[in-house]
Amino acid sequence: MLGKLLKYEIPAMGRKLLPLYAAWAVTALLLGLTAQAAETKSEFMVVISALLYTAIATVIFVMTIILIVQRYNNSLLGDEAYFNHVLPVSVSAHIGNKAISAMIWILVTILVAVLTGILIGIGALIVSGEALSLRDLIKVFYEIDLPEHFGLYFFEVLILSIGSIVKTIMQIYAAITIGHQAPNRTTLASIGAYILIMIFESSVGRAFLPLLLKVEYGTDGFMNFNRIFIPTFIATLAFSAIYFFVCKYLMEKRLNLA
Amino acid sequence: MARIEINNLTKKFGDLTALDDVTVSLEQGQIVGLLGPNGSGKTTLIKILNGLLQPTSGSVTINGSAPGVETKKVVAYLPDRNALPDYMTASQLMDIYEDFFEDFDRIKAEAMVDDLGINRKQTMKKMSKGTKEKLQLCLVMARQAEVYLLDEPIGGVDPATRDYILRTIISNYNENAVVLISTHLISDVESVLDDVVFIKDGRVVLHKAADEIREEKGESIDKLFREVFKC
Repeated sequence: MLGKLLKYEIPAMGRKLLPLYAAWAVTALLLGLTAQAAETKSEFMVVISALLYTAIATVIFVMTIILIVQRYNNSLLGDEAYFNHVLPVSVSAHIGNKAISAMIWILVTILVAVLTGILIGIGALIVSGEALSLRDLIKVFYEIDLPEHFGLYFFEVLILSIGSIVKTIMQIYAAITIGHQAPNRTTLASIGAYILIMIFESSVGRAFLPLLLKVEYGTDGFMNFNRIFIPTFIATLAFSAIYFFVCKYLMEKRLNLA
Repeated sequence: MARIEINNLTKKFGDLTALDDVTVSLEQGQIVGLLGPNGSGKTTLIKILNGLLQPTSGSVTINGSAPGVETKKVVAYLPDRNALPDYMTASQLMDIYEDFFEDFDRIKAEAMVDDLGINRKQTMKKMSKGTKEKLQLCLVMARQAEVYLLDEPIGGVDPATRDYILRTIISNYNENAVVLISTHLISDVESVLDDVVFIKDGRVVLHKAADEIREEKGESIDKLFREVFKC
């Protein structure tokens, strides 16, 4: 059932974000073209392009957050909940669906941000007339002196980043779900719940920090990195699980759609 | 075993008691009218049967199970509001129903949508309030469910559509299903009802077969309703 939910949830967010991504790509290309041309011509166009690029980037990041909140709130606690909660689907699948979809769109947004950076470069190359072949790019890549265990560092940082994104999404969902326990002051209660969640997390973090500092660090950089990475990753997963079960419990036992 | 079993059900919202010690048992093979004035607790009861509200005390079961994934497979629910995503077309909504409900009859739904003149390619956002209600009803009634919970199904539609809806409900009637219709428009639904539950201030004040009421009281259900709920 989770797959069926995702089939409808992913496009629901995409229909708002995809046009913005397209606009962002166009402004990135425009910025690249004008930036290179500005070396010989007016700087006015480059300022306008840069402003446009930054404005769209801001809109996309804000919109992504708003959509994550809105999709969860409307679908599972608002009017659409009258439809979604009568589907023969478990509460866990509903929450998982929202979290996975939100995570996918955050990752896509990050990926598009990187791609717009490349587009700025391409735009500049088009104007300068310089051609960079794929062979040149590979050569440049191989000439970079990567540190030992770079692949493992990269992988661990990547999964920790994904874990942190999931945790942030679940924090938001838990705050909204707790906020709905106060039917007349939902928004205020959700904000209050979010603040309490942050306090809870930092208190737990403070309690465990001395243990992390007691660890004896050796000379092996990768091992030292892991001594910090592993507990941090476990804590991230644990917090995500706690917030997930808070949402699940409240939706299964305390759901009251007024 | 009754299709729907409600035992000593109480629901409170703060100081307000919406349902007060309600006990009702509904068998399959009948169309039941859940009748009462606005604010009597009809919608609250239907929401609890769907698991959208949690009881303060007491219990409800459908086919012997508390509301959950299993009961949702056999319950077709028409809410008292538009609950469908407004960016979707009628056709896309039929896709969702087809994906999630094994008992959804696509051909029947399309026929109903066409009968009511609903444009399958139009999004919900562009539909009138009445058309949205009609579409929701088509989707719900196109299921071969065991329990139909219809909350004010004829409240916002014109008389011609009202007749169509009632005909649809009757034609969907089968011996395995129970149809629970919540409404205060008694005269319109009276002719299709087998069983009647009067609810007042959260309490069940009458639960009888429709024919029994007519025979015993010698009056229509609508007339009896006006007497019971006289202001």
